[in-house]
Amino acid sequence: MVRRILGLRAGRVAVGILSAIALLAILGPVLAPQDPFLTRPETLAGPSWAHWLGTDYLGRDVFSRLLDGSRTSVLGAVQVALIGLVAGAVPGILSVYLGRAFEWLTLRAADTLIALPFLVFAVAVTALLGNGISQAMLVVGVLVSPLFFRVSRAATLAVARSQYVEAALISGGSVGWLVRRHVWGKVLPPIAVALAQTIGTGFIVVSSLTFLGIGVQPPEPTWGGLLASDLGYLAYQPWAPVVPAALIMATVWGSNLLADAIRDVSGEAGRTLVNSRRAHARRLDSPEPLTAGGTTR
Amino acid sequence: MSDDDDSRPVLDVADLEVHYGLRRRRRRALHGVSLTVNRGETVGVIGETGSGKSTLARAVLGLVRATSGRITIAGEEVTGYSSQQWRALRRRGVVQYVFQDPLRSLDPDLTVEESLIEPLLIQGVPRAEAAARGRAYLARVRLADDLLGRLPGELSGGQRQRVAVARALVSEPSLIILDEPVSALDSANRVGVLEILKELRDAGVSLVFISHDLGSVVGVADRIAVLYQGEIVEVGPARTIIKAPGHPYTRLLVGSAPTLRSASASRAEREALRALLHARTEADLAPAR
Repeated sequence: MVRRILGLRAGRVAVGILSAIALLAILGPVLAPQDPFLTRPETLAGPSWAHWLGTDYLGRDVFSRLLDGSRTSVLGAVQVALIGLVAGAVPGILSVYLGRAFEWLTLRAADTLIALPFLVFAVAVTALLGNGISQAMLVVGVLVSPLFFRVSRAATLAVARSQYVEAALISGGSVGWLVRRHVWGKVLPPIAVALAQTIGTGFIVVSSLTFLGIGVQPPEPTWGGLLASDLGYLAYQPWAPVVPAALIMATVWGSNLLADAIRDVSGEAGRTLVNSRRAHARRLDSPEPLTAGGTTR
Repeated sequence: MSDDDDSRPVLDVADLEVHYGLRRRRRRALHGVSLTVNRGETVGVIGETGSGKSTLARAVLGLVRATSGRITIAGEEVTGYSSQQWRALRRRGVVQYVFQDPLRSLDPDLTVEESLIEPLLIQGVPRAEAAARGRAYLARVRLADDLLGRLPGELSGGQRQRVAVARALVSEPSLIILDEPVSALDSANRVGVLEILKELRDAGVSLVFISHDLGSVVGVADRIAVLYQGEIVEVGPARTIIKAPGHPYTRLLVGSAPTLRSASASRAEREALRALLHARTEADLAPAR
């Protein structure tokens, strides 16, 4: 799978972008050249040698804040997506197999989560579990899980009644066998696309919670938070939101490219693509006459 | 092909009743169906669309629950089996099934080899041994080894159906149920697959051959059961069914089979049979109302 993804140009680009982002997340706080919390008298300054990306409304170095916030931002977004994935996709696939009662329960739970007002839920969970970054991620993750639930359930339903699954059932395959061997490969591509989309949403939602004082606390920088505060000073620094926005976009774009690459190399289409290349290579190796339709080449 | 007691029938269906739906939407799919398949015997089940052929097959496979009646597979009464018991029975590979549509019965993402040896892998046979056995059965359905690495999408319909037959064979079942195995194939492939089925019959594999086409069943089946509106209206040796059909529906079937030219009836005769059949059905239903 990994080798086939790297075989595609889009896959290589995606892996390149995402590795750079991951590196930024790991090393960012260490690389920050100045104290990201230090306020200075020169507020809203333009780019200079001292401050590469200028300073914000409190005179803090924007470049340092971006680097320092990269770990929280990326980890947060990934965490949100993974919580959503586990809380959504697993019940989504199993809802098709584990009988009527489980199906009914999970469907109603998903409906409830969709109907729940986001802010009320976030405040309630914070009141219940205390305020903190992991609580905020949990809230957002659980709230995006219906997306994964729906996507994986729909994809599973599409293959669950197919004859090859029934053939495996007739041969005595367990639910685990059927899912691993026949269902998972077909469900993975749409889930990967949903995952990429959720990572993008994660950045924004986590930072929007910061406004309410939930999750990441104000002096702590995040990409989404920087973007939000830059928007407030758009009249003074119209160029300022560009850099955090570009970082978020790069991450989302990389995730989407990766999701597309996963879709391209898995499933029927992907196998045909890879096999047609192999067949082409085979044909070049042993040029045998094609006799289809009575004509030879 | 199994080694246990040879005198026992492989399949014994007694007074099987299958109803679909609940209460007012209840519909009778099978009514009082009794059928026995002996070891090494090939039984053809003939009937039109909606006559209950596939329901019969699915009930025998445990995919549809019987409303009443008894199903015995290789001496084991399976009627009241739980899903765990069914799985244990299926894992032993006693009964296998071949679907009508070879386009959809093989996983498009798995190579021919993976699909072929899946029943063995489920049984827990080591991969190397399973692969070797799969290869042997591929030869038996006259397919070349180099197809093993291909995907179903790169095979023709006839080749796919042969892979499906080989997959049914690979666990060495006592009984294979074939549900319209040649209906989706062109005539050349149809003949090829029918030849393979004849070879299997001669090798002593018990087959239940379900079809709406009398012509393709006649050459393979030892006995033929005619299913009409959920009931078996006639059972007998294939030759007798063709030569001296008793029930009007069977007579109509024999008369309409284009491949049995000697037996074919004129249009007027067929019309008369249809009228008779219609009158009978009405009479059957009348007291129930």
